[in-house]
Amino acid sequence: MKKLLGILVAVVMLLTMIPFALAQDVTIDYWFWADNDGYAATMQEMIADFNATNGKGITVVGSQVPWDGGGYSNTVFTAAMGGGGPDVATWKLTATPAFVANDLLAPLDGYLENWADYEQIEESLWEVMRQVGGGEKVYVMPWNTQVLYVYYRPSMFEAAGIGVPETYEEFLDACAKLTKDGVYGFGMRGATGGQEPWGSFIHARGGTFEDLTTPQAVQGMNDFIDLFKNGFTPPTAPSDGFSQIIDNFKSGLTAMTVHHIGSSAGMVETFGEDVGAFVFPAGEGQWTSMGDTENVMFASCENKEAAFEWLAYLAAGKGQETWCKVTGNVPVAARVKEMEEFQNNPFMKVSIAGAPYAGILPILDTTTEWISGVWPATVQQALLGDITAEECMEILQTELHK
Amino acid sequence: MRKRLRKANIWPYLLVLPALIIVMAVVFVPILNAISMSLQNYDLRRPKQIAFTGLQNYRQLFSDKQFTGSLYRTVLWVVFGVGFQFIFGFALALLLNRQFRFRGLVRSASLIPWVTPGVLIALMWRWILDGNYGVVNDLLIKLGWIDKNIAFLANRTTALPSVILTIVWQGIPFFALMLLAGLQGISPELYEAAGIDGAHSTQKFRFITVPSLKNTIFVTTMLRVIWVANSVDVIFNMTEGGPAYATQTLSVYTYLKANTLNMGYASAMAIVLTILLLIFSIPYLHSMFRDQGV
Repeated sequence: MKKLLGILVAVVMLLTMIPFALAQDVTIDYWFWADNDGYAATMQEMIADFNATNGKGITVVGSQVPWDGGGYSNTVFTAAMGGGGPDVATWKLTATPAFVANDLLAPLDGYLENWADYEQIEESLWEVMRQVGGGEKVYVMPWNTQVLYVYYRPSMFEAAGIGVPETYEEFLDACAKLTKDGVYGFGMRGATGGQEPWGSFIHARGGTFEDLTTPQAVQGMNDFIDLFKNGFTPPTAPSDGFSQIIDNFKSGLTAMTVHHIGSSAGMVETFGEDVGAFVFPAGEGQWTSMGDTENVMFASCENKEAAFEWLAYLAAGKGQETWCKVTGNVPVAARVKEMEEFQNNPFMKVSIAGAPYAGILPILDTTTEWISGVWPATVQQALLGDITAEECMEILQTELHK
Repeated sequence: MRKRLRKANIWPYLLVLPALIIVMAVVFVPILNAISMSLQNYDLRRPKQIAFTGLQNYRQLFSDKQFTGSLYRTVLWVVFGVGFQFIFGFALALLLNRQFRFRGLVRSASLIPWVTPGVLIALMWRWILDGNYGVVNDLLIKLGWIDKNIAFLANRTTALPSVILTIVWQGIPFFALMLLAGLQGISPELYEAAGIDGAHSTQKFRFITVPSLKNTIFVTTMLRVIWVANSVDVIFNMTEGGPAYATQTLSVYTYLKANTLNMGYASAMAIVLTILLLIFSIPYLHSMFRDQGV
């Protein structure tokens, strides 16, 4: 009897300690990359705001990890495989298959079921998140997107006597007409990352990523090659990456180039009102790349509920609003999208206009290698005349779907 | 007595043991791990399929055109890269060994390329050789040697020479420094005696300078061959191995494969590169030690 009483007292004592334990402060280790020091400072301010206002004793500790030309995902992967990864990290969809295959990510479905702001994010976006995780579970929390569009110089268009292209044919024609007096019509990206604008050419001819060997897709590739061969792009195009296409546009070397709203502040600073944007025009099809940035929770995270609070703050809370206002990225939460600042920004308007045509590459376990190695090397071969457009597309198809 | 002797014999080994354990842990364990991975289809994108595959990765290597192409470019990269570093480094060492004003300043300044990080050098040379705004194009046009810009890093024929030029610029001070140290160790009396015997400058260089520096040349060349063959930073930051694989050496290809998490294939390439460097190094060291009578 005495023994039973002792056990009961112990159980009661333990039960009384549970609320105390739950109220204890928890720390969430968060890794993020930032495109510049200003964005990094903004993130630290957001973290400070969350820590001060969450009211649940959650302290997020943010560490900036270099983007490293996409090497970020490998840095996080190595850390997570070695047992030293974060609780939550900023994310790119393409990295998901490798992490899911190694059981490194925590599924979010259980938390999303009871999340009041679930419907703030479009169901189509949740479906994309589900697909990259293998089709059944959601591992990735949406945060913001960047829709690619064409930047152009109105003064150069005026001098060439042309208007903003409304069709794909007009766009190709503009590339030719704008090429004069040391200016190139189009700033082509032939190095890593160039698959995003390139995809618009393939789709404009009616091609798709599912089968890159169709005559339509090959025709899109031929258009891409012709722009380079006919001298409508700088001769450096095969090795031009992000920095080069932006520098070439800002220096007035090119009249058009493709990037997202993240560059708009710098463009306006350089050109004032002499810079505009339009959605990559439609041909037989229309597509533009949707750059993505999300957040994930790791399976090793010990305080998953607290981590989800932080994810929710970024996806639909104050974090969503602050980050998108500062970086100019397209918000995913309906409440934030409707805000005046976003509705009145001309570049945001173009981003939103392009959103219905925005898509991503198929997220397969081959995608990362395809983006970082196969696409640039193969397309460079085609641009330099080593292989034909057909051979190029055959290689790209085989390597993506192998 | 015997016990004390045994103690005395064990003591040096005990002293060496900690260092040996650390070397085993940080060198041999990773090497064994790399060998083990190279014998498996160790692709972390498909962890459930990882299994022992024997020599499959090695067989695949030799039917992989990218691998054979990278191997060929590695030979060019090392031969021309190290070769020109040696020639210009030797010339610089001979120059710096002479008496002239501000010699100390020039000696210090000549070290700048060597102490600058490879990533920074790559970015700097990327700008210097830029096909649109690069200073090299500007100079060549002003000299009237070309009439329009050359896209050095976007052109298959000029990309590899461009990255070789960069690594040569970086490595010259290393050879200069090492050879200068060797030159200063040569007794001036040897040159005086040769002069008295009627030897002219070329003969002094051939019969005194070169033989006296033989060991330094051996060691520095071998070290530099190994470093250059393994280097990734300059090429990756200048061209990422492009355009169209034109600058992809074996170490860059290995890095790219490892980055895509195909660790088995990347390990096989790393092992092959290690074996090739050993094949080069062992006879080289053997020859050097034989001459020294070791």
